[in-house]
Amino acid sequence: MRVRLIGLALAALACMAMPATAQTAPAKLQVPVTYYTLPNGLKVVLSPDPAQAIVTVSVYYGIGFRVEPRDRTGFAHLFEHLMFQGSAHAPKGTLIGTVTASGGDLNGSTRFDFTNYYESVPSNAMERMLWLDADRMARPVIDDVVLKNQQGVVGNEVKGNVLNQPYGGWPWIDLPMLANSNWYNSHNFYGDLTQIEAATVSDAKSFFSAYYRPNNAVLVVAGGFDPAAAKAMIAHYFGPIARGAPVALPDISEPVQTAPRRLSRVDPLAPKPGYAIGYHVPPRGTPEWYAMGLLDQILVQGEDSRLYRALTKDAKITGDLAGGINDSLGNMFNYRGPMLWDVYFTHDPGRSEAEITKAIDAVIEEVRTHPVSAEELARARVKMRSALYSNVASSTGLVDMLAVYALFDDDPAAVNHITDGFDKVTPELMLKVAKDYLRPEGRSTYIIEPGAAKGDAK
Amino acid sequence: MIRPLLTLLAGVALSCPAFGQGAPSDGYPPAPPIGPLAPFHVPATEHFVLANGMEVTLVQAGSVPQATLSLKIYAGGLNDARPWIADLTGDMLKEGAAGRTSGQIADAAADMGGSLSIGAGSQLTSIDTVVLSERAPDAIGLLADLARHPDFPADAFDRIKTNRARSLAVNLSQASTIANVAVARAYYGNHPYGAPLPVPAQFAGYSLDDVRHFHAANYGARRAHLYIAGRFDPAAVRAAVTARFGDWAAGPERLFLPPTPKPGPQVILVDRPGAPQSTLRLAFPGAQIGTSGDFPLQVMDTLLSGSFNSRVTRNIRENKGYTYSPGSSVNFRPDDSLWMLRADVTTAVTGAALHEIFNEIRGLQATAPGEDETAGMRTYRATDPIFSSATPGGLIGMLSNYDTLRQPPSYIANFVPNALAVTPAQISDSARATLPLDRMTLVVVGDLKTVVPQLKAQPELAKLNFQTVTVP
Repeated sequence: MRVRLIGLALAALACMAMPATAQTAPAKLQVPVTYYTLPNGLKVVLSPDPAQAIVTVSVYYGIGFRVEPRDRTGFAHLFEHLMFQGSAHAPKGTLIGTVTASGGDLNGSTRFDFTNYYESVPSNAMERMLWLDADRMARPVIDDVVLKNQQGVVGNEVKGNVLNQPYGGWPWIDLPMLANSNWYNSHNFYGDLTQIEAATVSDAKSFFSAYYRPNNAVLVVAGGFDPAAAKAMIAHYFGPIARGAPVALPDISEPVQTAPRRLSRVDPLAPKPGYAIGYHVPPRGTPEWYAMGLLDQILVQGEDSRLYRALTKDAKITGDLAGGINDSLGNMFNYRGPMLWDVYFTHDPGRSEAEITKAIDAVIEEVRTHPVSAEELARARVKMRSALYSNVASSTGLVDMLAVYALFDDDPAAVNHITDGFDKVTPELMLKVAKDYLRPEGRSTYIIEPGAAKGDAK
Repeated sequence: MIRPLLTLLAGVALSCPAFGQGAPSDGYPPAPPIGPLAPFHVPATEHFVLANGMEVTLVQAGSVPQATLSLKIYAGGLNDARPWIADLTGDMLKEGAAGRTSGQIADAAADMGGSLSIGAGSQLTSIDTVVLSERAPDAIGLLADLARHPDFPADAFDRIKTNRARSLAVNLSQASTIANVAVARAYYGNHPYGAPLPVPAQFAGYSLDDVRHFHAANYGARRAHLYIAGRFDPAAVRAAVTARFGDWAAGPERLFLPPTPKPGPQVILVDRPGAPQSTLRLAFPGAQIGTSGDFPLQVMDTLLSGSFNSRVTRNIRENKGYTYSPGSSVNFRPDDSLWMLRADVTTAVTGAALHEIFNEIRGLQATAPGEDETAGMRTYRATDPIFSSATPGGLIGMLSNYDTLRQPPSYIANFVPNALAVTPAQISDSARATLPLDRMTLVVVGDLKTVVPQLKAQPELAKLNFQTVTVP
């Protein structure tokens, strides 16, 4: 990606809040963004960087694992696998073989609100990638043979990541299932093995027709390429693909949580207890959400954070504190529906749940009752800016930001001005957000009881 | 559960044709050609050596206004027979240095936009941070304080050790860790490579004095190499490096300790009752880096099992559905090269999966691959340095890796042509030289009552002794 350093007027405002040691005005990103929509509804984002020898071609579909048939948990993810299984002009093996033989890598992932596919290849292979991606958008070949094969593969994925894994599924599946009430947000999105195995070709056909159309997708090309040539190729290969019916997503809203929730389970493989909490966060893109992002920085990101100090250094409860907004499966930017801010860690059995909750409550109550200092706010903004830069420093990270802001906000160039939202956050707004969203009654707690604890553990 | 369902699906196929099988003559344009790979140019680096022997490599890279700093110190697992002494030492650096408390260190890193991460491997300890460009000189000062002047506060040590002990327990509950430890013990024996993790009772005996001693005996300028990549002011960075590291004591020379691996055949089993998958490791010694067998081995690995399009992946994943993410790689260390295949396969098909893997190995040994398949695989391997060079962190990883392996700069410069020069015959030769099945080291972590009969049914394994071990 090409990002240039420019000083902006806003920087002067931010500077006043910076600690004395940071004398230089913060730089702003300037990622080049060309954005347009084909007549069939496909959104296109081009972000050229002539210095790069690699180009990343990626398609994001506006369908995630929240929205899948009720008796087919895990289906959105299974379908992601099926999209690698061949298309009319590139039979099974052609896509993977072509990407590899060109020297590149490919992958896909299924997340709360999108499913993505990408190929990162030497620039000379870009046109072939567009050809392959257009063919599988128009004409994937999904039959019983590939379905049966990928049911086996996905079953092994679940076994490896959940069933044969200590703390498998915790808290990234457990906590959303506990904290949410709407089925779309609260079902096991990785899928029950029997339901994964029950999927049919007919299910795949319906799912494809409903969600895998150009008018529910964004194509992003980033890296070393000629944008004029790419534009012509995209029109050539993707232009003829028929628009689908308008996508009707179900109501995925969550009611306000009015009472704390708690669940525990025995993990037969886990040697130590695990403690996880989650709170619902403000709607993405609102001033309150930006404030929540900075609260996250202050509370749990890094070893300067308040929870790290309290739980690791002071109370000596844990050493593996982790958490964030959409922390386990993305970041605070790449989703659009209801979302949790979570905190989770393992600890030794001598520390009671009550003791841990008390230590966390003390930290949470502090941000709900006292405004943060100007110095701490400035530090949170610096950390946020640096995290954002690190995210877009890799081509897949940049593509992700461009894609989700095109898909959800119709504004991929948001990547260049997103720090503005954080610069506007005041200590007063953070106090209000902490009061409104970090309420005890809005908390969900998910405990892992160690089924593999040894008697000598302490 | 699976079989009846599959039968049902097979029946459905008769009456319900697949969707998407469009006629090839639907007007879609033919596949556009893929042009030749553009020449790869190694990013320009500035390298210098301080009077005390410390090396410094600077690279202007990318355009994000950040700098990635990585201070590598050749003090790792190799330098102490007790595993995790190096790791504990690394952990303790952040707990206080040059009079700064751990809180002040954390705040300082955060104010620069970074967080500090410290990790120890077998060869070295790495202190890493990513900071906003203008803070690179300050970050150099912080790294210098940590590496040179740790305070080792006693009150922090118990906490660090308690956390490490819990992390050890969690690690040892994972099938992948158990398999890796079992391979290392069987293959490397008493060499430090043979003990990637301590056993809990051993770890319980570690003291703060052990950590202090490790630091005093192993950290020093002659073992240090600072890499900085990204966007930064080179003059300010040079000045900061000289000011903060110029008077560091030279310290000891780097240690080299070649291992003497135990030759196979050996079959090591670890019981994991009820496990839904078997965790497999298949290991052989490989050609050393920089020797004539190096690139043939790397391309052979890519073709056999080291890429998504490899023969083993196409077979046991994309055809059979036995596994999710099989893979293999060549792990080079100084004076050592280990080829290892990894796979987690459904318990009931453990024997069947190994049968397919052995068949693929034998097939490659018997018949050289075709030119098309070879061309794709060598191109895949050849682009490694191109992808590594795409981010500052990747660039540092590549440069430091080949420095650790004592390869000259020409190794990276010639990487692409050397990989592209590998022939089909060389691949087959490498498979024969590297993977003699009668000398294999095989580890299986799984439900042994189900798995052992499957293993005994494999001709390659039937006559071998199975050794069941426990980890830890």
